[in-house]
Amino acid sequence: QNLKCVTHNLHKMICTWDVSPRKRYGQTDFCYTTNDLPTPVCFKTKEKRVEIPVLHSSSTVTITTNSISGTALATKEFKIHKKDVLFIPVTPRILSLTPDFSTSKLNLKWSDNGSVFPDGLDAIWQIQILRKERMEKVTQVTYHSKLTHEDIILSWNWTSDMPLECTSHYVKIRCYINVTQFVGLKEWSDWSPVEVIPGKDTDPSESGVFPLDTVVAVGSDVTFCCVHEEGQNVTNMSYGSKPYPMIQLSSRSHAIRVLNASASDASGTNVVCRLNNGMMEGTVLFVGYAPDIPQNISCETPNFQIIKCTWKPGRPSGLYGKRKTKYSLFERTSGKNVSCEVNEMNRERVCGFPVLPDQKTYDFILGVSNPVGQAESSLLVDITQRVHPKTPEKLTVSENNSTSIHLHWFINGSFAEIRLLCQIEISSGHSGQKVHNISMPGGKSSAYTAHLNALHPYTKYQFRVRCSAADYFWRWSDWSRVKEYTTSEA
Amino acid sequence: MAGADSPSAALRRRDLCARGIRLAGKMRSDVVDLLDAYVERQGLDASASVAAVEGVPPAAVEHWDEQTGTQRLLENLAAYRAFRALLAQMLEEQREQLGEADAALGRALAAVLLQVSAFAYHLEELLRLESRGPPSEEEDGPPPQPRGLFEQKLRGLGVLRELAQWAVRSARDLRQLAKPGPGAGSAPSPAESP
Repeated sequence: QNLKCVTHNLHKMICTWDVSPRKRYGQTDFCYTTNDLPTPVCFKTKEKRVEIPVLHSSSTVTITTNSISGTALATKEFKIHKKDVLFIPVTPRILSLTPDFSTSKLNLKWSDNGSVFPDGLDAIWQIQILRKERMEKVTQVTYHSKLTHEDIILSWNWTSDMPLECTSHYVKIRCYINVTQFVGLKEWSDWSPVEVIPGKDTDPSESGVFPLDTVVAVGSDVTFCCVHEEGQNVTNMSYGSKPYPMIQLSSRSHAIRVLNASASDASGTNVVCRLNNGMMEGTVLFVGYAPDIPQNISCETPNFQIIKCTWKPGRPSGLYGKRKTKYSLFERTSGKNVSCEVNEMNRERVCGFPVLPDQKTYDFILGVSNPVGQAESSLLVDITQRVHPKTPEKLTVSENNSTSIHLHWFINGSFAEIRLLCQIEISSGHSGQKVHNISMPGGKSSAYTAHLNALHPYTKYQFRVRCSAADYFWRWSDWSRVKEYTTSEA
Repeated sequence: MAGADSPSAALRRRDLCARGIRLAGKMRSDVVDLLDAYVERQGLDASASVAAVEGVPPAAVEHWDEQTGTQRLLENLAAYRAFRALLAQMLEEQREQLGEADAALGRALAAVLLQVSAFAYHLEELLRLESRGPPSEEEDGPPPQPRGLFEQKLRGLGVLRELAQWAVRSARDLRQLAKPGPGAGSAPSPAESP
């Protein structure tokens, strides 16, 4: 009775049947025929199952059970319609289950056994994640793929809402193949054998609070667990100064769940697990913000040797020390990258990039990153149009005569590529304050001279000077110190 | 302290002891202030019980009054050399973890480290008076690394607590040493409650 035919690959099917257990039997004669076959196909078997091709039309099966001596005992004929055949895909096999403890991520790899099936079939996979000692179902996910008549290794990632160390995580998978042209019954495959990532609570030598010293974004929900030795009990677990209700994961692991974590202090928020023997285990959570996109990025050169870029950082990240926001300046044309040393405590952000030989235009990307996130801002700049000279120094005077002098000064840097525009402010009690503009070629070395005449003899003057780029004005340097000089008598 | 002192040596030792006692007193108050700031800045529970920290010599000692002067000095020196290494590591960790965010705590830590170094040098001076000189510094290698930041915070708490205890003990040891009389402090002196 109960002849049942199942196919796992749409080519072959396994037919099984029952016989009344009362008697002892010898071999069985199994014959099948279809309209397409000229003659029945028969063979003997000791089993109560045979594997035959999947029949593409209705067929008649005749099963004869024989006695030990070979005499026929009973014969039965069955009509098998195509729709009676059951299609159950082969049980999938997990190739690997790889944990990433730092991100609490599981990576699952399995083969889709596609080579067995014709091209283009839709496969549906159900992946089940279980957890804790009692293997409670955490989630079940459906994954879709297309079979390509080749065995393809499929990969899938899942991030646990708790550290993988906290307790064992188990994964199993099954599949359903949607064969539209197969008229028979279609069912899910069996579940694959379970793959496990053991938690630290299965290792007698392990204990501690997890995750260990991690960084999350403000507003995150975080699960902490306390793994302790066998026989110990957790009296309480606290986040910061606040105790939290505990969830038991296993006999050696208890967890708490912190929702919508707020920004932590610079030294982080302590998560403490107090044990009944008076000991404490703990970890530290750093809660901060991802860096904002740098605003108002601006670059200039003071001396054609270095380019100084400044920007507004936006909201402080709340992360310090080795977790602080890091800045780097990448220049696309040259491919050169510079990391910037920035003091998180002061508001002004500045980064230096060397002026490169024979390069005027710089295509900067300011990259900003910290453990919570990253951002970037870009700027294309021609440094000859962004000259902000340093303060002119060592102002000196040499006299031609009582009404005409030479003013000398130094500006650190090489400005040979541009013309300089300098303003000389001339003050005297006699004629008040005047500004004299003078343009001059930028020098390779940093000494400059200006000639002033039409001065008054025997008069005390104050001179100071500032300079900028002549052709593309960007910013004035600061004023030099004042230089006092009294012209000689006429 | 071997053999009777010459008057100048005894005078020198009493002077060193007196200055050492003042240094220990200042160190203790600074350590207590640092401890309060440390507990607050590290988000710790002031009443937290901390297991004995590996590498930190305990201040409590049995038979305190039976110790010779040399033993006192040697034990003190060993302790402050250990504290010097531990505090230096704490300072390094503080810079790595907090950077500029908590410069005040860093400065306070550095100040106490300076005092501990000065006190160790002071003890070496006292040992030099004994013409045996201080033992050479053993390179014990860096103190063991705690498993995580919380353990690191607790260890820091343990170090500062023990250092505060040591500052008290050192002052008492130096007072014991400063007492006049031949071989002061080397022979067991009348029992004095620690």
